[in-house]
Amino acid sequence: MPTDLSQAADARTFRPSPHAKRGGLRAGQGRFGVMLLLPALIAFSLIVLSPFVQALGLSLYKYTISTPEPIFVGLANFKKLLADPTVRGSFVTTAVYVFFTTFFSITLGLAWAIILNEPFKGRNALRGISLLPWIMPATVSAFIFGWIFNSRYGVLNAVAMEFGFIEHPQAWLSTTSGAMTAIVMVKVWLSIPLFMSFFLAGLASMDREQIEAARVDGAGNYNVLKDHILPHLRPVILVVVVLGMIGNLQQFDSIYALTGGGPVRATSVLSVEVYRRAFEQWDIGMAATIGVLWVATILPPAYFYLRQLMKGAE
Amino acid sequence: MTELVIQNLYKRYGEVEVLKDINLTVKTGEFTVFVGPSGCGKSTLLRMICGLDEVSSGEIAIDGELMNAVPPSKRGIAMVFQSYALYPHMSVAQNMGYALRLAGESKELIAERVTRASEILKIDDYLDRKPRQLSGGQRQRVAIGRAIVREPKIFLFDEPLSNLDAALRVDMRMEFARLKDRLGTTMIYVTHDQVEAMTLADKIVVMRDGRIEQVGSPLDLYHHPENRFVAGFIGSPKMNFLPVTGGDGARLRLPGGSVAAPRIGKPFEIGVRPEHMEITDGAENTLTGNVLTSEHLGSDTFAYVQIEGVERPAMVRLDGERQITHGEDVSIGFADSAVHYFGSDGLTISQAQVPAAA
Ligand SMILES: Nc1ncnc2c1ncn2[C@@H]1O[C@H](COP(=O)(O)OP(=O)(O)O)[C@@H](O)[C@H]1O
Ligand SMILES: [Mg+2]
Repeated sequence: MPTDLSQAADARTFRPSPHAKRGGLRAGQGRFGVMLLLPALIAFSLIVLSPFVQALGLSLYKYTISTPEPIFVGLANFKKLLADPTVRGSFVTTAVYVFFTTFFSITLGLAWAIILNEPFKGRNALRGISLLPWIMPATVSAFIFGWIFNSRYGVLNAVAMEFGFIEHPQAWLSTTSGAMTAIVMVKVWLSIPLFMSFFLAGLASMDREQIEAARVDGAGNYNVLKDHILPHLRPVILVVVVLGMIGNLQQFDSIYALTGGGPVRATSVLSVEVYRRAFEQWDIGMAATIGVLWVATILPPAYFYLRQLMKGAE
Repeated sequence: MTELVIQNLYKRYGEVEVLKDINLTVKTGEFTVFVGPSGCGKSTLLRMICGLDEVSSGEIAIDGELMNAVPPSKRGIAMVFQSYALYPHMSVAQNMGYALRLAGESKELIAERVTRASEILKIDDYLDRKPRQLSGGQRQRVAIGRAIVREPKIFLFDEPLSNLDAALRVDMRMEFARLKDRLGTTMIYVTHDQVEAMTLADKIVVMRDGRIEQVGSPLDLYHHPENRFVAGFIGSPKMNFLPVTGGDGARLRLPGGSVAAPRIGKPFEIGVRPEHMEITDGAENTLTGNVLTSEHLGSDTFAYVQIEGVERPAMVRLDGERQITHGEDVSIGFADSAVHYFGSDGLTISQAQVPAAA
């Protein structure tokens, strides 16, 4: 249009402001970001990356108490491991452990969060107490559960006998399923506070009027949970599942303190297996190999977790 | 036949009494508006009617049945929330059909009613969208649609227009009027905006501090406010109030002039609406003052006249073409019939039912 053209011809030029930054508005921000990251990067390299690379290297060597120097054997360790039924057993044990701990931590954490999200007297005190397992060292928790399950003076035996479920004290931890149940319970107990906190934060951002509208529409508790609360918490649940799986795959202290991986190998998850190979049998090469496989199983959930985090950051 | 009756209703949150002795009847098909300043308890009263909160004491009955302990979904009501409260994870169609789905209605019936409601509200093009993909006005329609689909006996609206911009608000106000004619259902509508109340209501309930101040038709409230609060709240621009400074039997002395005394009562204050005032010498009552400033809106001119001894300048509504010189001394004139008299207790001294007993 002619008017536009004439305006373009009139376009004025402006002198630069003395306050202008040379590289544009965002200049220098990138450098600052790297500087902030530097300490974390150095710590990560020293504490995480370098041992991992070393372990990766060691997994290619035969390095036991009978070999004064590590002997390079290529992928022989991996071959041997994959053929080893005890290691495969360890993977199965780990899978069982991770499944039950993750499942119960999440369902119980969610249930507890929903209860603590309702307004009632003493709610804040109860919220505080609920964080206790989180603050306590895991070994202390394991110790408490050891006492609960103890075959002679355990709380569980006392209660079960009191109610007449059993006639004689049972050695709970000396059966395969009993030991597994115990280590799962400890881990669930340890995990609930963190998961509950995640869910409480998610519930806090829930629109109260949305639930009221649903009630007016005729939704009962079940439908409120299924149609409104769970969809709202979906992103949180996703993060918590992945985070829980990673944490449970790595769990060591509470298991080792309670059962030491026993009876026999019943609770010998990968972390315990690595520890046993390395520090009981002094087979460092094999321990490193198991470690590498173990990391490989953690990587997929970790990847999903990070991707979810990135999505949230956008 | 849907009659809502509220009797001696109180609501307390701990020590705080939010609703005090509410008595109200809403008849079938009536468009009733609760209006009052923010925090006066309108939403609370609506929530009691809806059943989202329990009453502290008193009765709520619909069609003669006591509703106090009946859950919201069983009261035959639908509520449109101020925040719309749409279900973010459901499409528009799912939002609207949710109540019917919960009630176990067939897919065909749900689809049919959702389609019909969406046509009425002109949202049939968005049925597959999620709420976040809609504009404010469209969300508002979906919220209304969700209520319509249920075919309730009573609609409850809590400040439905307050989240919309000014132009859209006028449009939606018209839609509400249309909807009311089309559906003919009993509607209760909450707002703090007296213009909305005046334009939509068959019956206005004016509230203040948890009490009902007056119930009546828009014109009723405009012409016969029962107290100073209602007189000041209803009508835009607001009524001018002037203190009575003395007087003899026939005339009351006011700052800047005088006014005819009422036949009965001892007025403490009088009120005259801006649209009942003129700038003229030849009227039954006149006040003198000085023009402070004026506003030209094209359709009207508002003159602010400072009367000595009155803090707030009086507002006078004039013809749109009228030119006013600022700083000029003028006479404000108004008829006897335009004067509202208020006693020291804030109640109107009514001239309608003059002395039967006196
Ligand atoms: N759950 C509650 N607890 C305590 N006070 C409340 C609660 N809900 C509302 N109130 C109080 O009741 C009064 C009326 O609130 P509301 O009905 O929302 O007013 P409106 O809708 O007229 O603006 C306000 O003073 C508010 O602070
Ligand atoms: Mg309100």
